[in-house]
Amino acid sequence: MIACPGISAISYALPAVSRSVRELAVAGLLDSDPEVLERFGFERVGVAIEETPYDLALAAASAMLREHDIDPSTIDALLYGGAPGAIAFAKPRDAAAMASGLCDGHRFEYPATRLQFDLGLDNATVLGLDQLACTAILGAVRLARALCIAEGLERVLCVSSEFYPAAAGREAISNCTSDAACAVLVERNATRNRIVGGVSVTKGFFWGAGSMRDEVMASYFPTAAHVIRRTVANAGWQPEAVNWVMPHNVSATSWEILFRLAALPNARLWSDNIRRIGHTLAGDNFINLRDALDGGAVKAGDKVLMFAYGYGAHWTGLALEA
Amino acid sequence: MTKHCCFVTGATGLVGREVVARLLASPEVERVYVLARGGANGSRVTAPPLHGDLRLDGLGIAPDVRARLAREVTTVVHLAANTSFSQSLDEARATNTDGTRRLLELSDDWTHVSRWVYVSTAFVAGLRTGTILEEDSLPVSGWANAYEQSKAEAEMLVRAERTDWVIARPATIVCDDSSGRISQMNAVHRALRLYFGGLAPMLPCTDQSLVDAVTTEYAARGIARAVLAPDIARHTFHFCAGLGAMPLSELLDVTYDAFLRAPAWRRKGIVRPVRTDLATYRLFEQAIHDVGSDRVRQALRSLGHFVPHLAYPKRFATDAADALLGDSAPPAASFWASMVNQLVGNVPVLEAA
Repeated sequence: MIACPGISAISYALPAVSRSVRELAVAGLLDSDPEVLERFGFERVGVAIEETPYDLALAAASAMLREHDIDPSTIDALLYGGAPGAIAFAKPRDAAAMASGLCDGHRFEYPATRLQFDLGLDNATVLGLDQLACTAILGAVRLARALCIAEGLERVLCVSSEFYPAAAGREAISNCTSDAACAVLVERNATRNRIVGGVSVTKGFFWGAGSMRDEVMASYFPTAAHVIRRTVANAGWQPEAVNWVMPHNVSATSWEILFRLAALPNARLWSDNIRRIGHTLAGDNFINLRDALDGGAVKAGDKVLMFAYGYGAHWTGLALEA
Repeated sequence: MTKHCCFVTGATGLVGREVVARLLASPEVERVYVLARGGANGSRVTAPPLHGDLRLDGLGIAPDVRARLAREVTTVVHLAANTSFSQSLDEARATNTDGTRRLLELSDDWTHVSRWVYVSTAFVAGLRTGTILEEDSLPVSGWANAYEQSKAEAEMLVRAERTDWVIARPATIVCDDSSGRISQMNAVHRALRLYFGGLAPMLPCTDQSLVDAVTTEYAARGIARAVLAPDIARHTFHFCAGLGAMPLSELLDVTYDAFLRAPAWRRKGIVRPVRTDLATYRLFEQAIHDVGSDRVRQALRSLGHFVPHLAYPKRFATDAADALLGDSAPPAASFWASMVNQLVGNVPVLEAA
């Protein structure tokens, strides 16, 4: 019988400091009018000052091992997606200088291998994922599931950590962003959150995130609706069977539109974190699922659909049975 | 039988040229006067073009010319209009409503006139839904844009002021003839290019949405017949595809099949627009208004003047027009694919005859 891997643990880490949308506007870190962003549902975001992406990744993964009393030596693989190479060890104010490390001997200093050492994942092989932007953690989970099925791995730890360098503002296509890290444990024989389907669509035509902003914005909705429909079908579900949608925390308005287009008549959108932490590049969907499970909103057996878009351009859906 | 002496406005436009050519070819027509703002193709009329402007009192026509028109004209054919969908109501009225009023006033003195043909649009029905009969009264509100409203108001004026009126209401004209040749780009072509470019992701519609489109050839044939046919005073004619209108789903299939024939477009992986209800479409418009670039805002704004019609499905009845012409309009499906193929460059652009 083919295994049906699932997600048995989720942890995340946010920076110590948070800022309101108004504060970000005053600091000149937004492109859009703060009133518009507030109307889109954003209120506060986490802003790393002293934390590096690596610090956040380590915090999230350590918390997971600690909270769930997981023996690090039982992890078979570590999949890391997020800030690459030397920049992962940079504080936001130092990001530009540290990026030069990509061009010298620091080029081969990787956050993933350091995580393996710092966490004591002695038996874990390490893979790094790149170029999936906000869908990196979904890509990692997809790969983890495949490794569990194809290679018989029992436990795969997926970690993603991302930040905005100090000079980069805090807005991505009119979405306010938090620095954050997320850790997700995929187990071959998980009893909860079984991964029953997934679809990922990449459209290389839209690779130029800056130069093709208009085209990306216009293609977002029809492609997202298409991927959601395909994900539901891939899971073997009927649209009316979906109980929850765990979103990526882009604007509440865009989700209101997409939710209508998705035509999932009985589903509810778990959108509490849009206001609280905004959009993280590291793993909105799983951060939301963790909070929704902790808060009791999502019950065992609920059918949960995740969707996220990542620059590049990637539209990804994942179907779970909680 | 007295032959017609026609006075035609809008004769330099796409449909106007074709109507005038048909009138000139008729043995029932002795003379055609055409009004033109910036000159006209005099070789296709029996008199030099008359310089004038609908926005001027007396249409700006010299008194001696007006006297001659008053003596000779038997038939008025009013085609001229500002057809922009994006204009303000004041701008639309200045040409379409007030221009018609000025022509009515001017022709009041033309004692031989026995037919006054007003070329309107099927979309004076505005956002009504269901079957729109040719004899239905005009709505008093609820249009998608200022163009439709100004044309409806002009129709009302003509009906009120004349007893010899004939109203011709073409549907959207999308190409010259069944070859799909496009001699003049209009809002429909510009909209299709936005969808081709991937800048328009949604269509507001219902399961019953239809697209009614006709060719210049058909519309001109209908209008010319409305000018010349006997005993049709106080009748309205829908020169529309009617039962040959295309269901939106079919139109999208045909359109995107044509898009897919363009190899460069196929590689882009642009998804066809998602069909949705008007409320969702409005939400999207608002979001783009709030944070979109000028380019996308402009695209949405230009679509917003007529695309919402799709959410108000209607079918234009064509009984009177069919009886007048002895046949129905060519079904939209008979030329739509050819038109789109030319628009996106899948086939060499056909030269106008």
